[in-house]
Amino acid sequence: MLVEVLTRLALIVALMVVLGVGVFAGRQRLVRTVREWPTRVKAIAPITVLLATVLLFNSVARQAVPELSWLRLIRKEITWTIYETEGDLILWLQAQATPEVTAYFSFIYIYGYVFLLIFPVVVYFLLPNTRPLRELFTAYTLNYTLGLVCYILIIAYGPRNLEPELIQALLYDTYPQYQHLTRQVNRNTNVFPSLHTSLAATVAFQAYRTREIYFGWYLLTIPLALSVALSTMYLGIHWAIDVLAGIVLGWIAVVLAARLVGRWSIYDAFADAGGLEAIPGGNRLRSLFGRR
Amino acid sequence: MVSEPTADEDTGASSSGRRAFLASAGVGLSVATAGCLREFRSAVNRTRLEQLSVSITTQPADGDRQAIQIARRLADNLEAVGIDVSVPLRSREEFLRDILINHDFDIYVGRHPGDTDPDFLYETLHSRYGEEAGWQNPFGYANTIVDDLLETQRTTDGDQRQQAVGDLLDAVAAEQPFVPICRPTDVRLVRTDRFDGWHADALSTRIGYLDLEPVDDASTLRGTVIDARVSKNLNPISAEYRGKDPLVDLLYDSLATRDHEGTLIPWLATDWEWDGDALLVSLRRGHTFHDGEPVTAHDVAFTYRFLEDTSLGSSDVLAPTPRYRGAIAAVDSVDIESDHELRIGVTTGEAVAQRVLAVPILPRHRWEPRAEQATVRGVRIAQGTTEALITDNVPPVGSGPFEFHDRAEREHLTLERFGDHFTARDDVSLPSATVDRLRAQIDPRSPSAISLLETGDSDITMSPLEAYVYDDLEESAEKRVLETPSEGFYHVGFNTRSAPFANPYVRRAVARLIDEAWLVETVFEGYAEPLATPVADEWTPDSLVFEEADPVVPFFGEDGDLDVSAARSAFEAAGYRYDGDKLVVRE
Repeated sequence: MLVEVLTRLALIVALMVVLGVGVFAGRQRLVRTVREWPTRVKAIAPITVLLATVLLFNSVARQAVPELSWLRLIRKEITWTIYETEGDLILWLQAQATPEVTAYFSFIYIYGYVFLLIFPVVVYFLLPNTRPLRELFTAYTLNYTLGLVCYILIIAYGPRNLEPELIQALLYDTYPQYQHLTRQVNRNTNVFPSLHTSLAATVAFQAYRTREIYFGWYLLTIPLALSVALSTMYLGIHWAIDVLAGIVLGWIAVVLAARLVGRWSIYDAFADAGGLEAIPGGNRLRSLFGRR
Repeated sequence: MVSEPTADEDTGASSSGRRAFLASAGVGLSVATAGCLREFRSAVNRTRLEQLSVSITTQPADGDRQAIQIARRLADNLEAVGIDVSVPLRSREEFLRDILINHDFDIYVGRHPGDTDPDFLYETLHSRYGEEAGWQNPFGYANTIVDDLLETQRTTDGDQRQQAVGDLLDAVAAEQPFVPICRPTDVRLVRTDRFDGWHADALSTRIGYLDLEPVDDASTLRGTVIDARVSKNLNPISAEYRGKDPLVDLLYDSLATRDHEGTLIPWLATDWEWDGDALLVSLRRGHTFHDGEPVTAHDVAFTYRFLEDTSLGSSDVLAPTPRYRGAIAAVDSVDIESDHELRIGVTTGEAVAQRVLAVPILPRHRWEPRAEQATVRGVRIAQGTTEALITDNVPPVGSGPFEFHDRAEREHLTLERFGDHFTARDDVSLPSATVDRLRAQIDPRSPSAISLLETGDSDITMSPLEAYVYDDLEESAEKRVLETPSEGFYHVGFNTRSAPFANPYVRRAVARLIDEAWLVETVFEGYAEPLATPVADEWTPDSLVFEEADPVVPFFGEDGDLDVSAARSAFEAAGYRYDGDKLVVRE
């Protein structure tokens, strides 16, 4: 069942990406990318490795987070506090449910979200300047790192877990097959903040920063990111407070990424390092890394 | 909750300073001021009144969908009578750790594993167990009359015992150390195209998975389990990980077991005799544990000694088992007569003594080393925490009809038939394993467990389904719905160790905020039986039969709607005061 769901996800998102590239990027950028891709790959390689490491560590760590319950002094369970603060907002949102809206938000939560994360990677790669892409990857990395810190410190269960009779787990009850997909990446205590929202917000904020290059994409990210944020609440997965915290996290990640990117260069570090000549092949290594 | 006043010392110190000053002043002045000061001190040194605030610990919907709904309705009603409420949510393991081991709660809502014999109340309510960890007296309840009645029903049999149990249940109902809510109906879905011969009543015990009839040579039984704990821990005596668990029952044997009708039948013991104050037990010969070591009277004797104190005397404090406590407490002495014969001396009557036979028999060579104090580098562990209490026990080595094959956390647990089990012998006519392999797939939600069964990827939903999916269940040619009353029951537990729930009048007032009949209709969709007392029907005295409402603590109101003024009067009658809408107590 999982393989089936994953295959469909890959196919649909790939189709959306191809369409999007056709609409937003254009032929010229593609042609130029075919010529320049090795240099670009080299430029983004360090941050990609870092992001991949963080993602890998994240998936392991998040499985382990519930086992950290012995950290009682610093871990706080805040579901009831959230509920008392925001009241019945989610309840009201779900009162608007119709099968069509549920279908729309379920689609957004799964397919729209994955597209939103992958598509900017593709279109930024098509730019001669790799900085937007490096910033985006840095922001993703920050999202996952800061998000994990929150998950370690704060335990919260989503609305469907507190009010199961009022707030339906619309996604899982309407489309049980997705449960197998999301169970791979998520645990039920990882609710504050909403990482779905923070990553969607990150993409939207970054799209705003690159609006002069991809104005159409920027316009598209606004409804898409809002839909993702709404879908997490509509589907009973997140509280409004999680979503707000997610937006703040997304904003912090983009601002920090803008400041951090370009500050350190692993290639310069290698180029400056003396003594490489002494090692067989050292020169070759340096010339490889020393280039911009 | 209610903190001790600390202001005394502060004002005491400053007033003595003032006294020194006054001593140096004129005598007349000091006389005039002293009276004034006394009044001042008397006025200032009183603690302020604050709104009473309590927490209701329970599990999130993913852990127990019914419990969280009961907790929230109780929270609404407590708020209506002016009490500030919070509802901390805990995962399955943490919930049980907080309630059963750390006793860190005010009120909790949960499911008790229950028992067929009312003697389970002995460990549940005897004051002796208030400090122990496990299902033994998590409430910290202490009442000399109840203790006496608990002892009486233990040592008597027949009509005398029936009478004693009735008296006990009446006393407990009047005191409400916990509020029984209902006994849910366990609903399961099975496929009959690969296996037949399902017994609805036995599926929460080992017997339900034996003697199944394979159709077309099916050899692997595939079930779904909602609760992932069984993929993490297979320790038969763990408080946090074990409830009713047919899978672990299949891994371990007990001396006797209950058949489909609930009758106790010989199992690891070929038979037993009652001689007035002891059970004379004969074991099956030639049986081995899964690792090939023989099962002897020494293992049985070890099990009873070990469960009484899992540190085997090496720890400064006793480290008793958190499960089977009442049964173990009944054992007075164990004499090994031969490799296959034992004399188990008990302090109880025959009926209660039979509970002793249901304890899982542990292999001595595996568990003796676990009597040591658990250690974690750099952390001070609570005294009496032995390795045995915290071990995951993977792979488990028992002597049961199935042995451990494989597991993946949160994915599955797979067992294999133990070919050498005594039930497989030709001369033994007991239910035996008829499948080569039993794979329990973890599927945390009822709808997806049902869809796995519908697509033919599973044969049974081993965990009972959650109430909200009952309406969608359909029977067909190869699909059957099995219903049976559960042994377990839902209840609201009070921490009676401290205020305000040390006060039985408060507990009664809170009990009357709970509309059991309405909860059964709404939360359980009618698939439960409201309870006034937590024992099986044949033990329930006439005075505690739940007709329309609870006979002892009826709900204040109707159909879930609380009569707030009546409820508040009850709290006032219990001696509490209101400041406006708030029920106030000393800080």
